Amino acid sequence: MRATRRHAYTLTKGAADLLVLNEIIGQAGDPDISRRLHELDHLGKIEYITFSKEDALRHRVRVVTDHGTECAVVLRRSARIVDGAVLLLDDDRAIVTRLSERNWLSLVPRDIAAALELGYQAGNNHWTVRFDGPVMRIAVEGPERNYLDRLAAFFSDRRVTRIDDGR
Amino acid sequence: MTDTYPGAARVGIGGPVGSGKTALIEQIVPRVIKRGIEVGVITNDLVTQEDAQRLKRSGLIDPERVIAVETGACPHTAIREDPSLNIHEANVLEDTFENLDLILIESGGDNLASTFSLALVDYWLFVIDVAGGDDIPRKRGPGVVLSDLLVINKTDLAPYVGADVDLMVREAKAVRGEKPLYLTNCRTGEGVDAVLEQVLHDALVARSPK
Repeated sequence: MRATRRHAYTLTKGAADLLVLNEIIGQAGDPDISRRLHELDHLGKIEYITFSKEDALRHRVRVVTDHGTECAVVLRRSARIVDGAVLLLDDDRAIVTRLSERNWLSLVPRDIAAALELGYQAGNNHWTVRFDGPVMRIAVEGPERNYLDRLAAFFSDRRVTRIDDGR
Repeated sequence: MTDTYPGAARVGIGGPVGSGKTALIEQIVPRVIKRGIEVGVITNDLVTQEDAQRLKRSGLIDPERVIAVETGACPHTAIREDPSLNIHEANVLEDTFENLDLILIESGGDNLASTFSLALVDYWLFVIDVAGGDDIPRKRGPGVVLSDLLVINKTDLAPYVGADVDLMVREAKAVRGEKPLYLTNCRTGEGVDAVLEQVLHDALVARSPK
């Protein structure tokens, strides 16, 4: 296990007015925390930070809560932001994370040949995919147009069809 | 503002072969040292330690603070699909040099599809150059589109290679939205101060008490 160092540090650039959040106190579902959050919720004193699945991997990031509080999230490497992570909890306020749903591009290839080619294309682009029976889902990171343009040839001759099955 | 030390900020620098990644690091390192920021560098090369040796010989930084990673295969694998080797070396740097504030991780020269895993870095830059062609931004490579900060380097060469820098900027903004981009000439250092300010701001680089 790596050594734990604990000493003071100073954020260097324009961080004087930021609220520093440097630990995950627990999960919103933990019994004790849940009880306190319930009380704060009645007072409108829970603030949420929404992260994308990708940004949740970061350990240092500037964010703004839904109440407009500017925060510096500076976590140790061992920490991991998940949905419902509590970053601040005191008598006056709680700050809790939410993870936004990932946008998936759902595609159905016309036949085995199209499926093979689509799989090659996804792998060649290092796209994150998941398989759901006959549907291949591509995780959209950044503008969706970038994916659609690269798949244009598949759509134009109907080798691949995009579906919206609510997933 | 003080609080518990969380380890060094980890900043990735990626981009095509010859775009100026090492040159940018050579410009950044003396600037951060001058500010009292403790820095270490990890370089990734395919089968050599060329970039690490260049930095070690530069006299800009204690050679012990430079670690070379030989990826042996596709350079992007070591910064994205399986960044464990780079994570390990970053941990080694932190353990060796207490109070390290910033670790710069340079990828091996790659193509426009290269991106960093956010499990490895907190923030990452992508460096392209005008001599690579002024159509690079509109090709919408993931490195150009997804990086936190885009650097367009070698602006001084634009008239000699027929590159339209204004076009590159317009098209880069079109594919990147509001995310920052800067023009640099890393041979002279022009534009590097602005890059550094943005990195220190966005990556929340902290300075430890010495």
